[in-house]
Parts: sequence; structure tokens; C-alpha cells
Amino acid sequence: MKLQHNLGGLEGLDPITPEIEVFVEPWEKRIFGIHTAMMALSNHLDTANPQYMIDQVPTTFKSFWTWGHLRMGAEAMHPFEYFQLRYYEKWLGGISGFFVSEGYITQEELDTRTAELLESSEKAEAPLPMGGNPAIDTQVVKYLREGDSPMRPLAAPAKFSVGDQVRVKNTLVADHTRLPGNLQGHVAEVVKVYDNAFTYFFPTADGIGTPMPVYSLAFKPEELWAESLMDPNSLYYNDIFEVYLEAA
Amino acid sequence: MPSNYPGFKYGADRETFSAAKVKALESLLIEKGVITGKTVDTILGYFETEMGPFNGAKLVAKAWVDPAFKKLLLEDCNAACEAMDFPEGMSGAEGEHMRIVENTPEVHNVIVCTLCSCYPWPTLGLPPYWFKDPTFRARVVREPRVVLSEFGVQLDESVKVLVWDSSAQIRWWVLPMRPPGTEGMSEAQLAALLTPEAMMGVATVKV
Repeated sequence: MKLQHNLGGLEGLDPITPEIEVFVEPWEKRIFGIHTAMMALSNHLDTANPQYMIDQVPTTFKSFWTWGHLRMGAEAMHPFEYFQLRYYEKWLGGISGFFVSEGYITQEELDTRTAELLESSEKAEAPLPMGGNPAIDTQVVKYLREGDSPMRPLAAPAKFSVGDQVRVKNTLVADHTRLPGNLQGHVAEVVKVYDNAFTYFFPTADGIGTPMPVYSLAFKPEELWAESLMDPNSLYYNDIFEVYLEAA
Repeated sequence: MPSNYPGFKYGADRETFSAAKVKALESLLIEKGVITGKTVDTILGYFETEMGPFNGAKLVAKAWVDPAFKKLLLEDCNAACEAMDFPEGMSGAEGEHMRIVENTPEVHNVIVCTLCSCYPWPTLGLPPYWFKDPTFRARVVREPRVVLSEFGVQLDESVKVLVWDSSAQIRWWVLPMRPPGTEGMSEAQLAALLTPEAMMGVATVKV
């Protein structure tokens, strides 16, 4: 398990930096917008809930892109590099790498254009190109309003019920997971079984993807932590996919 | 011992390079028909005017003055959003399944996303940097009372602290306590007192 999957409870860190801004540099807004557009134009949206007529949107973007794809890029990084990069720096690296690997742009094009902007302050301050088919932006706003719900019909009854004790499995993790590593092997109580089932849109090596039940679990602090730094009058809750759990 | 951890600030060269790279990427994507020249600005504008913490503030203010609405909000956050005079779609992207938990004199709630930055966009907008900071994500699950004190929220040992880890599926947020001295205030006046931090559990509401 990589450090970025296993952050919970790490010791020896600094006091919190209470930076309340969403973006700390103007450029970060642009990569946020590009990622959100990619989610809104993803080729899986014709099977989404709600369904979109995505193949009729006049964009050249024909790829599958969800949060999971963005997360997978960050989680696949070398852990020491992950913690050297600020939040949106990871996005910029992952997303620009995706457009190169999928053939939308070449690395040379990107590097040449970047170098031109760095060399000329006039070019760096010039407005972006205009134009493009407005139907693309209509789809982007439609996606923002209607979303892409992961809820799906339940294929088989949920294995666990409210009040059950469950243990988080020791799952072998590859480059992407939705299970915080520090929960592995620990026991929790089921406090809610969510209605229906939840997809993750694509299969991961550790077993999520196909629609399955999700449970709200309550973990006692003494179950998760050794005494140091533990708060005895606290509870920790996580909503966990069924495949990560076994009866305790 | 002083720390060398840079927090969120890096050297100017690094920011200049990132700014040039993202502009290069965006301009190439526009030229190649992936997005339009207006796509990114359209998205950013949406979060300034339609989807943001101002929605959460209206929901909380209404819950403070209307017990039936508060019950609905706590039982079914998305149904409560539908009942408001919000722009269309405030159960949309990243808010398809939201849940809110109530602070009381006995119980204090705080949200986190240890794996990344999952957050209820329709009610709170986009997450502030501290929420995305690995230091916050690592520490709040284990020593929440200490972390809250660093934000200026001092809780008595008798107050139970509940930490809610948001996931891709369920997005959590917090219904803070109404402060004393706000009797007779309108919903709009009450909404103006709310901050994203109060609705995430790392601040109390002040008059």
C-alpha cells in the first residue's frame, strides 16, 4: 500500500495551514476547468444516469474520463513525488500526460507552445483563441446541472445489515483504490446500508466497479489507533464498498 | 523545531512554468476542437454564480428557522435542495448523494476526504486548500480535537467528535449550531453569517 493510500493517522506533521482559498494561483483555475470539461464530455455518458446524447456533441474528445481516472494518475505516482507536488500540479501533470498519450496533442507541441509562452510576456498575456462549437459548452453546463450519479439497481441483496460487525479486508492494492489503507484489518459497525448499489464506472484491480452495496461504517478510535494522539471521545465514519468487507 | 515544509507556496519560477504549461494546453485543446474558447470560463462562472457555499448557507439558515425543513434536510439533503428556489441542478455534479450531520452542544461533526478531496459541490462549491492538504487529511481522523483547536474551535473533552470521511459515492457536510444573539434575524441575515468552514465543521458561526 502506497503512502498516498495510507495517510490517515500519519505522525510528526505540522500544524494545519488554514488556507481558505480554493485556488492559490490563477493558473490552477484553468486546469480545474479543463478536467471538469473532460468529465462533462466523457464518452461513457451515453450509459450514465441520467443518459446524455454524448455522441452527438461536436467535440473531438472521444475518451473515457471520470474522477477515478484523475485519481488513478495521482495515486499511481511515486509517493515521494506525490507529496512534492501541490494539488493542482498533480492535475496538470496527469491531464496533460493523458492528452499526449491519447494522441490529442504531441509532447513536442505542448513543450514548444509552453516555451513560446515562457519566452514572450506578450504571448503569455495574450488572450486564448476564441471559437469552437457552442454545443460543447451546452453539454458542459447540462452535465454540471444533471451530474453522473453512480447509483444503480441492486443486483443481489446486501450481505450485511445495520448493527453487524464487519472487518475491512486486507486487499492487495495496485494503482488505485477507494479504501483508506489504515482501515485494513480493522472492525467496524454497520450504521447504515445505503439504498440501491453504486458503480465506480470502471473496474479497479481491488474489485470495485460493478454496482454493489455501500455501507456507512463507524470505527471506534481504540480499534484504529494506538494510544498516542488518539481521541477517546470520537468516532470515525467511512462509506465503504461491500467488496472491501467481510463478517467479523 | 521550525519546519521546512513549503505548505502551498513555491518559487515564482515554478508557478510561471505551470501557468505557461496550462495555457499551452488549453490553447491547443481549443484549436483541436476538444473544448471551445469559452468552456473553462463557463465552468468557472458556474461556480461563482450558481453552485457554491451560498446554497449551503441558505439551506442552513432555513433549517434554523423551520423545524420541518430541518428534519427534511437531515433525512434527505437532496430532497431539501429540490424544495429550495435554487437554480436547476443543485443535486447535480458531485452532489448526487449528499448527507448533512447536525452539530449540538454534545456532538461536533467534521468532514474530511482522506483519499483525495471529495466534497458536496452543489451546497458548498469547491473545496478550500486546507481540505486538500495531506496534513489535514492525515491528522483529523486521529486527533480531531487538536486539529479543530488549531482552527480556533475549542471543544470540551465531554463533546463527542464525529469525523465523516467523504467518498466518491456520498458527500458529507455539517449543519452548524445557530449562535445566540440571532433571534429575530431573517433567513438572509442568518445565511450571511455562514462560512464554508462552519459548514465543514472547522469553525463555529459568529455574529
